[in-house]
Amino acid sequence: MADIKRFAPGPTVWHDDLSPLPRSEWSYDRAAHLLAHAGLGGTPEEIQALADLGLERAVQSLVHYERTQNPRLTPFVESGFWDPSLDGFPDSRPEATDRAEASGASMGVAAKPAGNRPIQPISDRFFYWLRATMLETRRVGYWWANRMLQTTHPLEEKMALLWHGHFATHENKVRDYRKMLQQIALFELYATGNLRDLAIEVAQNPAMLYFLDAQYNVKGAPNENFAREVMELFTMGVGNYTEKDVRECARAFTGWYFDDLAFNVDAAKHDAGAKEFLGRTGAFDGVDVLGIIFEQPVTAEFLAAKIYRFLVRDELSPALRAKLGALLRDAHYEVKPLLTAILMSKDFYSAASYGGHIKAPVEHLVSMLKQLGVDAVPGVPDFNQSTIAMGQHLLNPPSVAGWAGGKAWITPGLLIARGNVARDVLLPDMTGFRDWNFNAGSDDVLGQRLRDGFDIGAATAVNDPAKMSEFDRVALERDEKFNTRISGYIGWEQAARKLIPTPRDAAKLDLSALVAANAATTTEAVDYVLSRFLRMPPSNAMRAALIEFLTKELGTDSLDRAKTYMEDALRMTVHLVMSTAEYQLV
Amino acid sequence: MTIENDSGVSRRELLRIGAGGLGLGLLGGLGSVPPVLGQASRAVAANPTGKILVVFEWFGGNDGLNTVVPYGDPLYYKHRPTIGIKEPDLLPIDAHFGWHKSMRGMKGLYDDGKVAIVHGVGYDRPSFSHFTSMSFWHTAAPNGGNEYGWVGRTASSVDPKGARDNLIVNVSDSQTLAVKAQHHVPLVFVDPAAFKRGLFAQELPLVDALSAQDMPVGDAHRYVLEVTKSAAQASEVVRAAWGEYRRKANPDLRLLDLDKVVALIEAGFPTKLYYVPLRGSLFDTHVNQAAPHDRQLQYCADAIEGFFREMARIGRAGDVVMYVHSEFGRRVPENTSLGTDHGTAQVNFVIGDAVQGGQYGKPPSLADLVLGDNLASTTDFRRVYATLIGDWLGADAAVVLGQRFESLGFIKA
Repeated sequence: MADIKRFAPGPTVWHDDLSPLPRSEWSYDRAAHLLAHAGLGGTPEEIQALADLGLERAVQSLVHYERTQNPRLTPFVESGFWDPSLDGFPDSRPEATDRAEASGASMGVAAKPAGNRPIQPISDRFFYWLRATMLETRRVGYWWANRMLQTTHPLEEKMALLWHGHFATHENKVRDYRKMLQQIALFELYATGNLRDLAIEVAQNPAMLYFLDAQYNVKGAPNENFAREVMELFTMGVGNYTEKDVRECARAFTGWYFDDLAFNVDAAKHDAGAKEFLGRTGAFDGVDVLGIIFEQPVTAEFLAAKIYRFLVRDELSPALRAKLGALLRDAHYEVKPLLTAILMSKDFYSAASYGGHIKAPVEHLVSMLKQLGVDAVPGVPDFNQSTIAMGQHLLNPPSVAGWAGGKAWITPGLLIARGNVARDVLLPDMTGFRDWNFNAGSDDVLGQRLRDGFDIGAATAVNDPAKMSEFDRVALERDEKFNTRISGYIGWEQAARKLIPTPRDAAKLDLSALVAANAATTTEAVDYVLSRFLRMPPSNAMRAALIEFLTKELGTDSLDRAKTYMEDALRMTVHLVMSTAEYQLV
Repeated sequence: MTIENDSGVSRRELLRIGAGGLGLGLLGGLGSVPPVLGQASRAVAANPTGKILVVFEWFGGNDGLNTVVPYGDPLYYKHRPTIGIKEPDLLPIDAHFGWHKSMRGMKGLYDDGKVAIVHGVGYDRPSFSHFTSMSFWHTAAPNGGNEYGWVGRTASSVDPKGARDNLIVNVSDSQTLAVKAQHHVPLVFVDPAAFKRGLFAQELPLVDALSAQDMPVGDAHRYVLEVTKSAAQASEVVRAAWGEYRRKANPDLRLLDLDKVVALIEAGFPTKLYYVPLRGSLFDTHVNQAAPHDRQLQYCADAIEGFFREMARIGRAGDVVMYVHSEFGRRVPENTSLGTDHGTAQVNFVIGDAVQGGQYGKPPSLADLVLGDNLASTTDFRRVYATLIGDWLGADAAVVLGQRFESLGFIKA
């Protein structure tokens, strides 16, 4: 008989009440709510283990994760794309080839001393690295997803994901997977650490310095990009500083840059003069300025609200926001005391917090795998393609403002994509799958033409050279310094030859065993599936339709009769549950 | 004030006709679906007066001074000694202004009398933040806010009870604040082919059950339920319309995301308000701005020109007005990185056969700069909105905007 866990939100009088939940109110349902919000959900067995700890120890186990081992995490294994000659990679292809024309070499590659297309190797090299870092970043995202799935410290990964969207940079501009990896390590290290320290680390982080144009922020000619975003998006929120504060803040950060993966200050480019910033005057540098920012009461409220909205629910009253800000400020920006207070509070278990959070796409996919009891992120469907379809591309947030989150995750198109990703995990298209990492897209045709014996001029012609006369084809070959179109293709090839392939296996699932252990009839099976996967109450119509569906598919209401063939019908049942409106919320 | 029902066919009716015609319900029709769209197209043809607004948003902060260039003002070159564009490199407008050379497509439309250039558009106490300033434009509430966007509120004014489905289409990865509406679920998508619920045949009958819960436990739940219902209906018809559009791969047409708008208009969609934010914008030109700005302007101008060629082909050029704006212009003096920083007033464009071509609004002075070397805006952006809402769509702009704004008069009487 399936054990239907009751949907049990606390009373509305708990709304905005930060006093601790009475121990008598702790239950399996409350533990499931806690794991869904402070982690990425789990199996009924994992939820039961958390429930057995009692409220205080359950919250402690999530927040003070450093006290327990995390045995399954493995470091990222690089494909081996990087070498030091790629340091100072040019911003654009023209810059790369101009350098080579001026000096005879660029990015560790020499120009040819004679012959046609002398600069071609440099142009190829430029595209090689563009492709290589993009492909490797996909592997970094996949590796991170596996950490989220396999960690015993789910709150650590969830908070790292928050900081990645908060201090947002994207590989598409940074163009260096190593800097993105370095950033993930930073966000994990400070996931629940001190926010002032984290902000300083971020301001000195190479990916961020490059992303917000720090190289152009120099004494006498400050560039305001970082200074503005550090106040508007990272700490205080718009409206709490003046345009003059932005300009003075930019001066304080002048000369800050990096040397490969290390922070570096160029003293000659730093403006050491006095600055007037947020009502204070002094010869401030970036650390001083951040110190002043963190003295502002609005900073604590801004950051506490961000954490609360990310973990609990979108709706946040001004009164609760002020209380949360005070908690963070009183803890000197240590995050753990704030998290403990939130996760212990009556407010967190009140009706407003049940179903008030729309899962982010990465959260949707990883928590789906956790609920299914799968122990590795499958290779089919591709992790990145799946989350991109749902509106979230790890390591490539859409802008410095990160992902909007909340209701912005749900549009008709994105909602449909969520159901489709569930289908592709449960019933993957193994024979139809094509690995996008080994696909040059529109450049594919160039490879075919070269292998068919066309020269570079013909291969890169707009019209199909196979349909031209021999005379016309020969005329296509021309003298040129380089051909960027062929470089695009060669870049794909050179990168793909080094790329470590992603294993393309399906999720290891045995729903038949899972369900049979908890149900004897199709009605019980549906009730078990609903209680295992949904945090929100399903409609009676949905439940009835699923029971009818499963019974019809199996040709019987007895699971024992159907046990040898019921796997796909059960997978479709779960797919339908994951396509409901209720499944998108926790 | 009321608005005519453009096509005489409501979305619900369209779906009913289509579903009946296919005999498959909403879930069928995976092949071509001409019955749905054929009916609608005929209805449109019978009453071709439906007026459509297409907003083409240039996020990133377009440099208006290097788009419509005041070459006749020596101060322009004083502020921009390096990135200022010389007269021979411009396409002529008049003795003072010239188009950036990438704006060839726009120049053609302007010379045909179909483009209103609106100068000095902005608002008091401007924000220099991309996101804040754009949110002011989206809500039409500068230094304030509104839960709903100006396009969403226009929809409420046109159709107060929310009886018409798919009144708003938003070609975007995620919903733009401008289209957020009290009674309408905007149709948001980028790739029509991916806009499809993948269900196996046995699963199809359960699709209505996915959103059957009629007791939502809160605001987020209610929202997701509404979108689930609308997704089931809308995805089918969008894909059908896109499937019918025959000029997708035409090399002469580089429409950016405006191709989806063409496809839906050609298919006779009941949509009155289209909102298309530019994706992958290069307009935030802090550094070495010439190359990316040249490229971005050309992409945009070519797309607009191609869009109106398509409207002429399907006989709807007189029914569509396009509006182009950014969240701000850029600072008047160039910066030391051969780029420009965030600024204030900007130039806007309104395009269409119904537009009285010419220049509107007072060009801001390059001598009297404000707020740290910035243009003083001369035209509140809500005057442009009011003209579009009132003179073009025939709705009550004062109700939508919360106050009266004088029309700029760029719509032909």
